[in-house]
Amino acid sequence: MAANFWTSSHYKQLLDPDKVDVVQRLDKEKGLTLEEFRLIKIHMSLQIWKLALNVKVRQRVIATAITYLRRVYARVVDILKIAICLFSVCRKSMTEYDPRLVAPTCLYLASKVEESTVQARLLVFYIKKMCNYAGASSSDEKYRFEIKDILEMEMKVLEALDYYLVVFHPYRPLLQLLQDAGITDLTQVAWGLVNDTYKMDLILIHPPHMIALACIYIACVLKDKDLTTWFEELRVDMNIVKNISMEILEFFEYCRLDSKGNILIPEDRINAALNKVAAKP
Amino acid sequence: MIPASDSGGASAGEEDPSLSKRVADRYLKREVLGEGTYGIVFKAIDTKASRIRTGQTVAIKKIRLGKYKEGVNFTALREIKLLKELKDPNIIELIDAFPHKGNLHLVFEFMESDLEAVIRDRNIVLSPADIKSYLQMTLKGLAYCHKKWVVHRDMKPNNLLIASDGQLKLADFGLARIFGSPDRKFTHQVFARWYRAPELLYGAKQYGAGVDVWAAGCIFAELLLRRPFLQGSSDIDQLGKIFAAFGTPKPSQWPDMVFLPDYVEYQYVPAPPLRTLFPMASDDALDLLSKMFTYDPKARITVQQALEHRYFSSVPVPTKPSLLPRPPPKGESQNHKPSDFNSQDGPLVLSPQRKLRRVTLHQDGLEGNAYQLDKVGDHVKEVRQMDGTTGQSGSMPMSIDLGAVFGSRPPPRPTLNSVDRSHLKRKLDLDPEFDYH
Repeated sequence: MAANFWTSSHYKQLLDPDKVDVVQRLDKEKGLTLEEFRLIKIHMSLQIWKLALNVKVRQRVIATAITYLRRVYARVVDILKIAICLFSVCRKSMTEYDPRLVAPTCLYLASKVEESTVQARLLVFYIKKMCNYAGASSSDEKYRFEIKDILEMEMKVLEALDYYLVVFHPYRPLLQLLQDAGITDLTQVAWGLVNDTYKMDLILIHPPHMIALACIYIACVLKDKDLTTWFEELRVDMNIVKNISMEILEFFEYCRLDSKGNILIPEDRINAALNKVAAKP
Repeated sequence: MIPASDSGGASAGEEDPSLSKRVADRYLKREVLGEGTYGIVFKAIDTKASRIRTGQTVAIKKIRLGKYKEGVNFTALREIKLLKELKDPNIIELIDAFPHKGNLHLVFEFMESDLEAVIRDRNIVLSPADIKSYLQMTLKGLAYCHKKWVVHRDMKPNNLLIASDGQLKLADFGLARIFGSPDRKFTHQVFARWYRAPELLYGAKQYGAGVDVWAAGCIFAELLLRRPFLQGSSDIDQLGKIFAAFGTPKPSQWPDMVFLPDYVEYQYVPAPPLRTLFPMASDDALDLLSKMFTYDPKARITVQQALEHRYFSSVPVPTKPSLLPRPPPKGESQNHKPSDFNSQDGPLVLSPQRKLRRVTLHQDGLEGNAYQLDKVGDHVKEVRQMDGTTGQSGSMPMSIDLGAVFGSRPPPRPTLNSVDRSHLKRKLDLDPEFDYH
């Protein structure tokens, strides 16, 4: 359905940036700050990534899973419904929807939707394995869940997503655009950048091909390629592409990276934030 | 007994609160309509007063949770995913979905009938204009799917539902998929056999929207004949039936054919003139039909092209949906029992259900294919025994009169040599549907 993004539910559900990064009322009452809210989202995206590497699924499944996760905490009902019933704007709180459970559930659901099902049994096995690594602390125990927890949450996640499951990603347009621009040598850099955008909420805000263009733009700057004329010939608003690029670069500045370029999040901060909202009984 | 009124809530019996059960505070549960592939479907009244509709009758599918602890049924999930994207007058509307007592419920618009019931109802006369209208609505729904890069993969008359205003809508997207996604698991299991395109029967792994066009062609033929057109009893027999109707394809007609995984060479038989198969059809109808039944999927007409075909612009104009002949609404008579119709000697129509796909022809009906039967004799006997136990199909009088279909001369038959035979045996042994033990 790549050719039909414009008629998809994904397009209709794109959100204003100021609607995405808002701490839900219930979480605010528990003292969750915006900064912590963002950290949890980054951390959980990474968790999905790690789990996905264990169960071995396609990139697309990971991307869809992270999109679901972000939608759960950011979704506002679509515009049509708002017009009919203004009162029911549904944004899920981390207090009610423990991110540590929502994350693997999103991966499970995405694997089914993207037609490469991962058995719940297998997923739970790897979740437990990840909790049991040497030097596991008591906080890791809170990531441990059983099959029934995931299946129960699956239903709730479906509801939170309002059953909209088709998601478009920048990967396919990225490859097409790189081909078109004749810079396939930048594929690896640009692909990595696209992966990084899933640590942000961009996929909820911008059409996937715009995200792809922003990643190409950054890749060109990094690798000293001049693609000005190619960009000018595209019929897209370059200001938006530049703004997305700036957002991505700002995000890199915000995150501390280790020597391998991985994002470092202080574990104690994450745990403190999670303990505020999702104290597991 | 179910009240005759289809609008629901009109009769005293239905007003009785003890009969109604509230589901998720919004839907008043009514009688069970049937059992689908993955759950029970029941009728309900939507009590939620919205701007558009109040007290609307809906059909709710309650999705059974799988035994294997795999959460929301995979097929159901596919249907939800696609129907959330597909909104068209000729595609069933998914109105709502909600969890209730641990089960997922899907709320669809209530549909009175389906095309199979229309074709089967012997009190209904379908004029050429009516047939044109039903086909046009089928193709319109399909064109919308294909435009959205969705292949339906399970087109058959009982998946084409008919609303109270006469609109025909495509339903059951449980096998549908988005093109280009690298899912290849279900390839050979898609479609009820009688609607399967030759490339699928030859085991094609990569195929496109053309498979839906072939199936739509079968539905078109079924509307004209008032019985399923190509009723094969196995995949090999299905190909035999196809070749008997349209001639064995030559490599020049379909160059990719010989490279298909399950390709078997059939003895060449020429095509009888299409006119002899459809004596009542107009020239335009025959021309469209032959284009929908083109062997090479690449050369086969697309749904969009089919809609632009002369057939739809020539007289008669398609009947307005609201004026189309329709059987009594579902549930009024137990019209899902084919045995009701068995006493007559007229054409019998029975689409294969997904669960009962191997509704084989009674042996009398296979006389025309006796040669082939010899070849697969052992297996067919097994199947017959099994069918006998199902009762329905066992008692079915076979009225497929091949003599009438192919004129007075005996039908051309595909022949199989010994190599094919061993291939065939192997295939049959592998065919999971044969595994009744």
